[in-house]
This record gives sequence, structure tokens and C-alpha cells, in this order.
Amino acid sequence: MRFVVRRLGFFVVTLWAAVTANFLIPRLMPGNPALALMSRYRGHINPQSLHAIEIAFGVNKHQSLISSYFSFLGNIARGRFGISLTFFPDPVMKNVLQALPWTLALVGVTTILAFVLGTLIGLVAAWRRGGVLDGILPPIFVITSAFPYFFLAMLAIWLFAIELGWLPQSGGYDYTNTVGWTWAFVSDAVKHSILPALTILITSIGGWILTMRNNTITVLTEDYVRMARAKGLSPWRVMWSYAGRNAILPNLTGFAMSLGFVVSGAILVEFVFNYPGVGWMFLQSVENQDYALMQGLFLMIVLAVLTAILAADAATAVVDPRTRDVR
Amino acid sequence: MSAPVLGATDQLATPPVGPAPLAAEIKSGRWADVWRAITRNKKALVGVLLLLVFVVLAIFPGQIAPDDPTAQTYLPGLHPSWHHLLGTTGRGEDVFSQLIWGTRLSLVIALAVGALATVLSVLIGVSSAYLGGIADGILSLITDVILVLPIFPLIIVIAAYRKNSGLFTLVVVLGALGWSYGARQLRSQTLSLRTRDFLESARVRGERKFYVILFEILPTMTSLIVATFLGAALYAVLAAAGLQFIGLGDPNSQSWGTMLYWAQNGEALFAGMVWWALAPGICIALLGASFALLNYAFDEISSPALRVRRLERSRIPKRLPPPTQPSSTEAVLKVEDLTVAYATDSGPVVAVDHVDLELARGEFLAIVGESGCGKSTLLYAIARLLGSPLPGEIVGGRVLFQGKDLVLLEERELRRVRWRDLSVVMQSAMNALNPVLTVADQMRDACRAHSNMSKREIEERSREVLRLVSIDPVHLHSYPHQLSGGMRQRAMIAMALLFTPDLVIMDEPTSALDVVAQRSLMVQIKELQERLGFAVIFVTHDMSLVSHFSDRLLVMYAGQVAELSKTRELFDRPRHPYSQGLLEAFPSLRGPKVRLLGIPGAPPDLARPPAGCRFAPRCPHVQPRCTEAEVPLYSVNGSLVRCVLQESQG
Repeated sequence: MRFVVRRLGFFVVTLWAAVTANFLIPRLMPGNPALALMSRYRGHINPQSLHAIEIAFGVNKHQSLISSYFSFLGNIARGRFGISLTFFPDPVMKNVLQALPWTLALVGVTTILAFVLGTLIGLVAAWRRGGVLDGILPPIFVITSAFPYFFLAMLAIWLFAIELGWLPQSGGYDYTNTVGWTWAFVSDAVKHSILPALTILITSIGGWILTMRNNTITVLTEDYVRMARAKGLSPWRVMWSYAGRNAILPNLTGFAMSLGFVVSGAILVEFVFNYPGVGWMFLQSVENQDYALMQGLFLMIVLAVLTAILAADAATAVVDPRTRDVR
Repeated sequence: MSAPVLGATDQLATPPVGPAPLAAEIKSGRWADVWRAITRNKKALVGVLLLLVFVVLAIFPGQIAPDDPTAQTYLPGLHPSWHHLLGTTGRGEDVFSQLIWGTRLSLVIALAVGALATVLSVLIGVSSAYLGGIADGILSLITDVILVLPIFPLIIVIAAYRKNSGLFTLVVVLGALGWSYGARQLRSQTLSLRTRDFLESARVRGERKFYVILFEILPTMTSLIVATFLGAALYAVLAAAGLQFIGLGDPNSQSWGTMLYWAQNGEALFAGMVWWALAPGICIALLGASFALLNYAFDEISSPALRVRRLERSRIPKRLPPPTQPSSTEAVLKVEDLTVAYATDSGPVVAVDHVDLELARGEFLAIVGESGCGKSTLLYAIARLLGSPLPGEIVGGRVLFQGKDLVLLEERELRRVRWRDLSVVMQSAMNALNPVLTVADQMRDACRAHSNMSKREIEERSREVLRLVSIDPVHLHSYPHQLSGGMRQRAMIAMALLFTPDLVIMDEPTSALDVVAQRSLMVQIKELQERLGFAVIFVTHDMSLVSHFSDRLLVMYAGQVAELSKTRELFDRPRHPYSQGLLEAFPSLRGPKVRLLGIPGAPPDLARPPAGCRFAPRCPHVQPRCTEAEVPLYSVNGSLVRCVLQESQG
């Protein structure tokens, strides 16, 4: 129980740090971009938009830094991220919620797929130590894990969309389609997601393979694995319940932590593919200097990563009985 | 030490494949050793060569590049030719020249960020662990928060406010956000070092904390620090390229990321200017790969478990097998001429050297000797359980059990013998029981593997064997960590008795317990053995422990049998000088008070065993002839002794 409370505490502290960074960065940067922007816009845009920016930054000329910080926190807590300039006059929240499913479907599914596949391949590679799989895969994936996501995305578009013409080169769906749960739309969306998904899969799977392989090699030296062999269990059972189950423990946490990295990579992939997810919208907001939208999306990304970490904690508690009791 | 923040993850904070164990190897190694390690590892070699090429390009772009990278003097979109190796850009610049000039910024960013992040993670990680208390609490909280913040989006936010961020901003931001992973690892590494002797002694000597950190702690973590640097550099390469690619870098700077930005804007791939986009991407990937390969190779070099070594059988000295001796028919186990070798970097090491032994039904045989004399290797060779962490291989001999040669059995046939007829009890149940399964689970999978017992029957049998070793069956569904040390050990013995096997192999099963618990467990093992009639091979380094329990004693030295006698006989009349030395090392319970003498010196290095008698260098009775030839086993009054002094008696 104490453990759960502490984890939730960590969750809150991290979220607070992210929000505060959001508040402080525009103020602390040389030249105070927040104020500079305000004065740049004053008189050029209508008072409504000006107010939107005010909310986004928590800038208010009648308030001190401290009190504007607290009203900023209060707005965030109530889900008021202000109004997006890009999609004026839609509130930020509406835009974020529109983009989120696309990213969740693409990045979420791909990440889980990469983790599951990578873990399996790594386990088998370590189990067949010195075999073909073990000899070829690690060097290959050391190299692919150093590949820039966006470059691979460009290559994929060039090869499969332009040269071969097999798959659509950008977007999340064909814009002539109407969005909805129809077969035509869903199959079209899936088709559009293949290339970005493959890109993310290829660049992120290597890390899982390597860490799982190395974890397993270490676990295989443990006495309990030898004991399992001495018991005459089937190799399958030894590999699965003894080696694999213990080797995956450090990776569960690593999985959650590196999710931040995957999300980052996905921003670039979505950018290259013009995929209508959070990452693409994030870069749109940067380009259009739509700071309210940018902040909202950033917090959304932080929230997603933190949720994944909590989920990984829960998974660890299920797989590893020691974490349940000791704490 | 304050409670760490990331809770569940903390006990696993040190990466299981951490370079830790061999940090000392690298520390003591000179540059020549480092160089040898690099050249021997192909991945490291490729990584170093790639990096060297880029370093040369970064230093001498003016000499290598044929053109001014910014001069828009050519026709746009030219195809590759001798004049333009990679064609021209959409703005009429030479792609090849841009590529070479771009190396400098990309490399400088990688190295600078790597250095900054490494310095920060060392400072924060090490001092956090070393200072402890509130400082540790705060520093690790900061580390963990930064660790989970999505860095790249944050950098984009920062870069968005500072348009066209130059080199300095990029390095500072990437470095200031990229240190947390390394800091976390360094912290847990330092924590594990804190209680080590050499630090304790430094503290006792009253050395200043700063001095201790700088000269005592840091050198032992060289490999981890290098890994931190390489990891941060790799991240910097990719992140900087990403930022430049989406136009948040300085668009007028010469870098690969910027090239990609212009290529993307110029729709290079659509317009057929393929190399404009491909070349910088490949360079980013190659630079990243060089860091990743180095990182991976360094891991391999510093933790030998990750390397695969092959045993060169041809380098093992051959000897003719002795003629097979007639054996008593009631032998449950007969080991003939068993030889086991390990592959090491300097060639094969013979750890068990032509050992013969025989075990009667229901007999209790104890194997004693110092650590490193091959007794555990012998034990696991008999059970066919070699392989990591004892990566030895049986290179000769036979292990006859129930009329079958275990050495030749296929793994499938072997599985049928295991546990039903031959079970194993290990040194530490804490390590030998699977931490994530309950005792019941671990009994059940053994039962499932060897019988068709129903769920009820398995539960019944499990309770029954627990009662045998006096554990209350309520503990059946506990996890190993929920039991006390003594109970775990008993539970493991109970597990070994599930099928009442013919032979139970025990590897120091009591050494993890205190003296009182040791005694009571020994009494219980003996009692069970007499009641159920299984034979026991019991390895220990504590001769006095088995003096009242074993029928015969096998004294091993340097991989060979030194003496094999009835236990009483050996205690009364030890014949081998090594046996005499071992006996003098333990206090006798009865009898006159004598001075306890150890045996001076240490067992020989088995990679280079001494000629003749292996004990000769430490033997008080050494004679010239001892080192002349291999000493055979002499049979004296039913004992076997490998000592020339017994020649006349034989």
C-alpha cells in the first residue's frame, strides 16, 4: 500500500514538474519570449485570441509571477488549456482529443508489438546461444537501433510509395472518405498506417531484442535455471517459466521508461507521413507558434508516458511476487 | 540511505548485464590491454574505424571536400558523376562537399553532449549515492523525474521559443536533459560499492569524501562511465539530427540534419535527387551505429558472460584411460575416468582430471577440498548440469547410472532419469528456487514432468514431503522469499525427495545456514537417507561437518582425487599430506588440544598445473621425485592415496 502511495506521489511530482517547465520555459528563456509574443500580437489580433494566449502563458499584466503561476496551475487542473490559434476558435482540449486516438492506435499498437516480438526474439536468441539467430541478429539490431526514425520513414516512402506505389505515402486516411466505423474507412486507415508502423517497429524492436537477450543470458547462469534442468523439466518450461519470466522483469520498467523515447520518435514519423496524430499536431503548433496547443499536447505526452509507467509497475507486481510483499 | 523513489524498479536498477563485475579488469588494464580487447572484438573494431573516419572528415573538411558547400554555382538536381560524386542539391550545391562539411557539427554535438551528460551523471549519480540521506532522496527524485519526462518533445518546446537554436543551445539542452539514465545506473553501482572493503578502509583512514570519490570510486566504474558517454552521444546524434530535420536547428548551419531538412523541403526524393536525401541520412545512421557498436562491444568486453567461447579439445593433454576395474554389482553410480574442461581466453583448463569413483546403494559419500579444487564441477558433471555458470564440458570418461552412460544420453532420455532417480540439492535455496513461483508451483512442475499425478495427488505428495523435512504444509503456497533461510533449504530437500530417487547430489546444502541449523539439518538428512535408502554425494569444504555422517570421504585437490577412504579411517589415519593439512585446519571435538595449522599457499592455477604431484609446492614432505612424474593412486589398506610416500606400503 505504501508502495502504491509512493508511486502515485511520484506521478504527481513528475506531472507538476512538466507543468512547471511549461510555465517557466517561455519566461526563463533569454528575452522572455512570452512577453515578447504578447506585445507582438497586441493590436494585431482580436482581443479574444489575445486572451487565449494569456491563458496559455498565464500572462497577466496585473498579476505577479507567483500568482499568475497559480492561476496557470488552476487552469491546467481544470483542463483549461486555452484556445488553439491554429484551429481557432476551438479549445485546445478538443484538438488534442481528436488527434489522440490516431497516435494511440499507431504508436501504442506498434510499441506493444515491438516489445512483445523483441522480447520473444531476444529470449529465443539467448536460449539458442551461439546459434544462427544469436549470431546474426544482435549486430543487425545494434545498427538499426541507431537509425534515425525520420530517415527510415523517408526511405520507406520513397521505396514503397513512390518507386513501387504499393502503399499511400502520407496521411492517416484518404480524405475523400468520411470518418467513421465503416469497412472502407477502417481498411483505408490500416493501409495508411502500415508504413509508419513498420518504421517505428524496425527502429524500436532492436532495443528490446538486445536487452532481453542480455538479461536472459545473465538469468541462464542462475541456480534456479540449473535446478529446473536438474528437475528434468521440458526445455520449453525452463525457457518460459524460469528463464523468461525472470529475464523480463527489468525490461518491464525499461519498456515504460523508453516509451518516452518511442513517442519522441513517433513525432518525427508522424511529421514525415503527415499522420494526423498528436506528434504531427505538435509540430504544427510549433510551426504556427500556437503555444497553447503545444503546451496541451506536451502535457498529453507526459501523461501518456506516466500512465504507461504505472501500468508497467502494475505488471511488475503481477509477475514478481517479491515487489508485492517487501514494500 | 533514503528510500529510492522508483520503488519496484529499484532492486533491478543495476542492469543485469551491467559491466560491473569486470570493471576491475579494465581498471587494472593498461591501454595496451584495452587496445587488444578492441581489436579482438569485430564490433568494436568496426565502431572505432567508423568513428576515426568521421573524426578525420570533421578535422580536415577543407582539404577533402572538392567544393565550397554553400556555393550555389552548379545546375540544380544534377545526377551523380565524376564531377559531383553524389550529384547536386536542388539549389545547385555539391552534395558530397556539403556532406563532408556537415560532419563537423554533427560530431561536435555528439561528443560535447556525451561529455556534458557524462559529467553531470557522474556528479549527480555518484554524489547522490555517496552522500546518502536527504541529498540522495532529492537528487534521485530529480533524476527519476527527468528520466521519465519525454525529453525530445521538451527539447522541441524549448527550441520553439528559441528559433534557430545554435550549437551552444543545442548542446546545453541535450546535455542537461540526457544525463538521468546514466546517473541512475551510476548511483546504484556506487551504492553497491559503498560497503566494499576498500572504501571502508579509505573511510577509516579518514580520507576526504572528494578524494574517495575521485580516486577510489570512479576508477572502478570506468566501463559504466564509458557506456554513459556512448549512450548520450548516440542520443545526441539522433536528437540533434531530428531537431535540424524539422527545422528547429539553424537552417544556415552545415550539418547532416540541416541537409535533410532542405532535402525534404526541396522534395528531393520526388524530384529524383535521391542522394541529396540518402547521403546525410546514411551518415547519421553510420555515426550513430559507430557509437552503438562501441557501446555493445564494450558491454561484451567488460562482461565475459556475453561472449561465447569454444573449447579447443585438441589442446587438452591426452592420456590413456586406465583399464576398467571390475565393480561390485550393487553400485548405484560408477564414474570412470571423468574429465571436464573449461574454455578460457587462454585455452582450455582441465578442472576435473580423470576421476574414478563408485557409489554403493544407500551410501553416503562426501567430497571435500578447498574452493577451486573441482569438487562442484565434478558434481555437476555427474548430473550432466554443466553449462553456464559452470561452462565446463565433459571431454572424456563415463558416468554409469542404472546401467546407462549419462554422458552419452540424449537430453530427452536424460530428462527421464532426472529427479525421478537422480535429484539435486544446491548450495543456496535463495538462488536455486525460482523467485517468481511458489514452492507448490515448483513441486508441481517437477511432478507434471515425470508423472500423470492428478492435481490432488500432487498437492498431497507435496504436503507429505514437506512434512518429511518438518515444514508445516501451510507454507506450501508461499514464495521462496517468504520463507526463512533454514526453511528454504529444507523445502529444497523436500523437493528433491518428491520421487524418492536412488541418488541425491548435494552441493554444500548447509553452508548458507548458521552452525546450529547446520547440525540439525545434517541429522535430518542422515535420518531421511537411512529411512528412504537413497545414496548421497555430499560436497563440502567443511570436513568436520560430515565426519559423523558420511561412509566414505573423497579428498580432491586440483581436479584430481588425492585420497579416497572410509571416513573413520581418514580421520584416524590421514595418509595424503593434503588430507593431513585439511584435518589440522579444523578443531577436533574430542582428543588433545593441538595448534590449528592451515595449509600455507593456495591451490595451483589449473591452466598451468605443476609437473608431477600437484600438491608438491605446498607439501611439507616434498621430495625430489615428487615433481618428476605424475603420481598414480596407490591402494593402501582399502584406501586410495595419490602420494609417493605410500609407494612402499602399496
